[in-house]
Amino acid sequence: MELDLENPLLSTFHDSIPSLFLIESDHMPSPPQSLKPTEFGLSIRREAMSLILHLSSNFNDPFLPYLSINYLDRFLSAQPITQVKPWVVKLTAISCVCLALKMKETEYSVSDIQENDEGFIFDMETIERMELLILGALQWRMRSITPFSFINFFISLFKFKDPPRVQALKARATEIIFKAQNDIRLLEFRPSIIAASALLSASHELFPLQFPCFRKAISSCSYVNEDNLVNCWNLMQEIAMDGYESVWDGVSSSSTPVNVLDGQFCSSSTTTSSGGDKTKNTSSEAAAAAMAVATVRLERDQKRRKIGCFPNDNSLMLPRIKQF
Amino acid sequence: MEKYEKLEKVGEGTYGKVYKAKDKETGQLVALKKTRLEMDEEGVPPTALREVSLLQMLSQSLYIVRLLCVEHVDSKKEHGKPLLYLVFEYIDTDLKKFIDTYRKGPNPGPLPPSLVQSFLYQLCKGVSHCHSHGVLHRDLKPQNLLVDKEKGILKIADLGLGRAFTVPLKSYTHEIVTLWYRAPEVLLGSSHYSTGVDMWSVGCIFAEMARRQALFPGDSEFQQLLHIFRMMGTPTEKQWPGVSSLQDWHVYPQWEPQNLARAVPALEPDGLDLLSKMLKYDPAERISAKAALDHPYFDSLDKSQF
Repeated sequence: MELDLENPLLSTFHDSIPSLFLIESDHMPSPPQSLKPTEFGLSIRREAMSLILHLSSNFNDPFLPYLSINYLDRFLSAQPITQVKPWVVKLTAISCVCLALKMKETEYSVSDIQENDEGFIFDMETIERMELLILGALQWRMRSITPFSFINFFISLFKFKDPPRVQALKARATEIIFKAQNDIRLLEFRPSIIAASALLSASHELFPLQFPCFRKAISSCSYVNEDNLVNCWNLMQEIAMDGYESVWDGVSSSSTPVNVLDGQFCSSSTTTSSGGDKTKNTSSEAAAAAMAVATVRLERDQKRRKIGCFPNDNSLMLPRIKQF
Repeated sequence: MEKYEKLEKVGEGTYGKVYKAKDKETGQLVALKKTRLEMDEEGVPPTALREVSLLQMLSQSLYIVRLLCVEHVDSKKEHGKPLLYLVFEYIDTDLKKFIDTYRKGPNPGPLPPSLVQSFLYQLCKGVSHCHSHGVLHRDLKPQNLLVDKEKGILKIADLGLGRAFTVPLKSYTHEIVTLWYRAPEVLLGSSHYSTGVDMWSVGCIFAEMARRQALFPGDSEFQQLLHIFRMMGTPTEKQWPGVSSLQDWHVYPQWEPQNLARAVPALEPDGLDLLSKMLKYDPAERISAKAALDHPYFDSLDKSQF
């Protein structure tokens, strides 16, 4: 029952496709918040994302921060954080990671996650209450339907016969999807549209000759809205090209596509670090370490404080807990 | 939970009480299923998390009772354990009550054959949906199938929250758990069973709709096996390889299979053929829900309505 983002419904491939398209919108952030993010909202998201990347760096699974950030975005759109309280952001980030770890059946303990951590340390009861708050906001829909759920379906439309090429296409599209999560403008698009756009971008880069054919195959798929696809793809190309050369430069003569983890951590560390360290790491450990340095720096000035339970003035931020 | 006004207790499922309730704002009727959430050392238990979220997904099917929302109640002050309310759409009848009205009602008589056909089709649709998502129901019975009489719709309810919640030694109400729909491999103590267990139950339910009486009404596990063997014949190694090595296998009287047509006279030949494929002894030979949907028995059904 472990959650596999490529197959959230645990289903036999073709049976699940119509239902995936049918219910994907239940797994998106609700529009008002995400369409017009405030500067404050953006900064909260940035901070929470960098915390999530830091907290999940020990697990060596790029899908873990992806899933956690998916929960984060859906939670923030349902219950925006409106107060500048650093511990709220951190508690949200930790709880999202805990929930994602549980869904992926990864063994962990909360003390492991917070080990060697600067700043606030939370006890289990506090995290548990936050988990329930997030679960309520997400309506316990934790088997997130993400762009990864649609990749194999769209690739099958291409009728590619050459496994190494399929692999290359999939790897590059995966990399683009990881990168695209950083850009809040893409939150308004359905996961299937993001998957289709990422594959189009990947095929445009890797197999330009076949591109018109791919494009036709995807556009003629009855589940795909052509206008949305075009809009999303335009944005996506911008994102995909950003830092593209640098990522590829980092790869030695090997023809295998870049490790997705590298793409993920490289691109995020350049956006979150304070500009000084632009090291291009190619091994995931080094990239994650650079990431960790960046986040630790963000938190350096925060005082280490143990928070036992919610303070009394939480009525504004945590209405659901009070409700019952 | 103040959103809902509890109207009456409508049942006590294996995992807790079920209430009929009304949404105070919209007037919509709902079924509230109360379960205790067993918190573990790491907060919300992963099994509960995975199973409720799976239920959330499965209930998107038209043939599965719809989970409208999930509400958590922190009852730490009172009882110590947090509660989880699963809020389902309310459907007033189940298939057991529905069959009873044809048996004991003012005008007893058989269920219209086209209705039996339509209900069975919807049941196979729902079971196929669960199986294609890797989920076994394990306890299909007429009480767990909800019926909307006006619309002629049948939906599967009580989908297993098997491992997430404390499994009581006895059922919640000390009610005897019905064995009538239990597959022979389960009764014989097979340690690993699969989608076939649900298909056996579907077969028993099919026969019951046509007969208006349970096909195998056993009152103990042993009696249940004897009911099955007397009708279907005592299974042999040839029919069902490995049967005599199952944990609870004993030496039984050798019964010859009876003619199913005599037990279920209301069924036409295609129906009998489908039924016999659902009641195959060897679970590997039993028809799958997906294959059942294409069986000639459903040829006369207008499938476009589903």
